Amino acid sequence: MDKLKRTISRFLLSLSAFAFVAYGLSSCAAKGDYTGTEYAPQMYHSVPYEGLSQIQDKEAGNFITSIDGPGEFYTSNPNNPNEMNMRAPVPNTVPRNKNGYTPYRLATEDLETAAGNINPLPTDNPQIIVDGKLLFDRFCEHCHGPKGLGDGLVADKYPGVANLTGLAYQDITEGHIFHVITMGKGLMGAHGSQLSPEERWKIARYINEVIQK
Amino acid sequence: MHTTDRLSLNVNFIARFSAFLFFILIVGVSSLRAQEISEDAEVIAQGEQLFKANCTACHRINERLIGPALRDVHTRREIDWILNFVKNPQKMINSGDEIANALFEEYQVVMTAFPFSDDQILSVVSYIKAESDKPIEVAVATTTAGDGTVVEHGMPQTYINVIMVGLIVVLVILLIVLFLIINVLARFLKEKELDEDEREVVEQRLNLKALVRSNAFLGFAAFFFTAVVLKTVIDGLFTVGVQTGYAPTQPIAFSHQIHAGQYQIDCNYCHTGVRKSKSANIPSVNICMNCHSAIKNIPWTTNPSPEIAKIYQAVETNTPIEWVRVHNLPDLAYFNHSQHVEVGGIECQTCHGPVEEMDVISQYANLTMGWCINCHRETNLNTRGNAYYDKLVQLHSEVSKEPMKVEDNGGLECARCHY
Repeated sequence: MDKLKRTISRFLLSLSAFAFVAYGLSSCAAKGDYTGTEYAPQMYHSVPYEGLSQIQDKEAGNFITSIDGPGEFYTSNPNNPNEMNMRAPVPNTVPRNKNGYTPYRLATEDLETAAGNINPLPTDNPQIIVDGKLLFDRFCEHCHGPKGLGDGLVADKYPGVANLTGLAYQDITEGHIFHVITMGKGLMGAHGSQLSPEERWKIARYINEVIQK
Repeated sequence: MHTTDRLSLNVNFIARFSAFLFFILIVGVSSLRAQEISEDAEVIAQGEQLFKANCTACHRINERLIGPALRDVHTRREIDWILNFVKNPQKMINSGDEIANALFEEYQVVMTAFPFSDDQILSVVSYIKAESDKPIEVAVATTTAGDGTVVEHGMPQTYINVIMVGLIVVLVILLIVLFLIINVLARFLKEKELDEDEREVVEQRLNLKALVRSNAFLGFAAFFFTAVVLKTVIDGLFTVGVQTGYAPTQPIAFSHQIHAGQYQIDCNYCHTGVRKSKSANIPSVNICMNCHSAIKNIPWTTNPSPEIAKIYQAVETNTPIEWVRVHNLPDLAYFNHSQHVEVGGIECQTCHGPVEEMDVISQYANLTMGWCINCHRETNLNTRGNAYYDKLVQLHSEVSKEPMKVEDNGGLECARCHY
C-alpha cells in the first residue's frame, strides 16, 4: 500500500513539472502588441513586397538570414517615397475599365457644365435602382439619412448636410448629382476615389428617381 | 335692338372692368401685406416647416454653424436684401454687394440658391422673428449628458469588482472565525470526560487526515490534476502560431466602436476594396478627411483631439499613416475578400467579430486552416438564379439529399487556396 502511495505522489510531482510547462505555454498566446509565438516565422512574413504590410526594420529576421544585406523580414522599398511598397500611378495614367469610362476631367466649379451630362446607364433596367439604393445606404446614408432628409447619424456632428429633398435640390439633374459625388460641393468631400463611375451614376439615378420623388 | 345690345355690352364691360379693378386691389393689398413680417401663427408654422426642411443643415437661430446665426436677421438686413440673397447668393456676390461679399469673406462658403417664392421666404423670416423674440436657452445639457454616459459605462464594472472583493474578505474572515471556534471547542471538550461515541465525534479531525491519505482520494486528486494540466498544455500548444486576440497599438487610436457602432458608418464606406479586390484595404487619408475636415474635437468637448490632429499632420507632411496589420495570412494561402463578401454574401462580422463594439481592433477568428475548411463544409452555396449552377445542382441532388455546400463545388481542393 505504501508503495502505491509513493508512486502516486511521485507521479504528482512530475506532473507539477508539466504544470510549469503549461504555464510557460500560456505566454505563447497573442495579446495586445504581442503577436504570440510564431512557429516557423518565415511563414508569417511575406518575402515579396506587400501593399498592406511592410517591415521597415532592416534588422528584422536577420537570425535566419544566410546572405549579406538586410534581415529576412525587411520588406520595404527604399526606392519609393517614405519607403512605401505602393506607388502612385504615373501622372496622366488613364485607368482601363470594362465600361470604357474615360477620366472625369471637369473641375469642381464646373457644376453647370456637369449638370448637362446625361446618365449613360439604360433607363429601363430596374436593377439600377436596386443597386443604387444599396450603394446609397452604404455610402450616403450615415450623413444624408435613409430618406435623404439630411438627418443621418453623422449629420448630428457634421452640420451642413444637405436635405436632398429640399427645394434647392428638387430640379437638379443626374449629371449634377454625379458631379457633386465625384468632386464634392461646399462641405461635402469628394467621393470619386471610393466609387466607380458606374456606381456613382447608379446612386445619381436612385437619388433622382426615388429620393427626390 | 342695336341700342339695347350696346347697352348690355357696356354693362358687361363695366362689370368686367370693375371685377378686374377689384382683383388688382386684392392682389395689391395682399402683396403689400406679404412684404411684411407676419405674426400669424399659421404663417409662422409654415415658416418653421420650411426652415427645418431647407435651412437647418447650415443655420441655427442662436448659434453660428456653416452660416451665421439667424437671430434677429430681420433687424439686421432689409427685407429686399434677404429676398434677393436667398434666391441667388452668387449673383449678389458677383454684383458687388458689400454685405454679401463680407459674408463670403467671413464664412468662405457660398450659400445654396433656394427657389423660394417671396411669401415663402417671408414666412421663414416670420418664424425667425418669432424665435428671436424668445429668450436664449443656455445649452449645457449636451456636455453633461456626454460625460454622464461615459461615467455610466465605467461605474457598474468597478462597483461589481468592489462588491466581489468585499464578499471574499468577509468569507475569509468567517472561515478564520469558524476555525478558531472549532479549536476552542475541541480543546474544551478534550479536558472533559467523554464516552466512546462522543470521543469519536471530537477526534473526527484525525479521521479527516486519514481520508486525505486514502487511496481513493489520492487517485481522484491525481486524475483531476492530470486532466487540468493536460488541458492547459494542449490549449497552450494550440496558441502557438495562432494570433487570435492580437490587438496592437495603432498609430492613431481609431475606435471602430464610435465610427461603425455609434454612427453606423458602413464598413464599405472606408474599406472600399472589400467588394472589388483581394484586400479590403485601409482607407487613405482623403476618406478620413471627408468628415474630419469639419470634426476636430474630442467627443462631447470643445478641445481639439490630438488623435485627429495626427490625420492633419499626415496630410500636411504628405506622409502615410503606418497602421499595424492585425489579420495576417501566410503567403502560402490565398484569400480573396471580394469572392467571400460580394459573391458569397458573407457579413464582415462572421470572420472579424463584433468590430462595431471594438474600441481597439483585435483578431477575432483564429484564421487556421481547420477554421477555413469548417466553414467551407457547412456553408450552403447560393445557387438560385444562376444558370451556371443548374447542372451542378442537378448532379448533386442525384447523389445527396443535403443542399449543395461550398465543398461540393471544390471548396476543399488544395489548389483552391494553395498555389
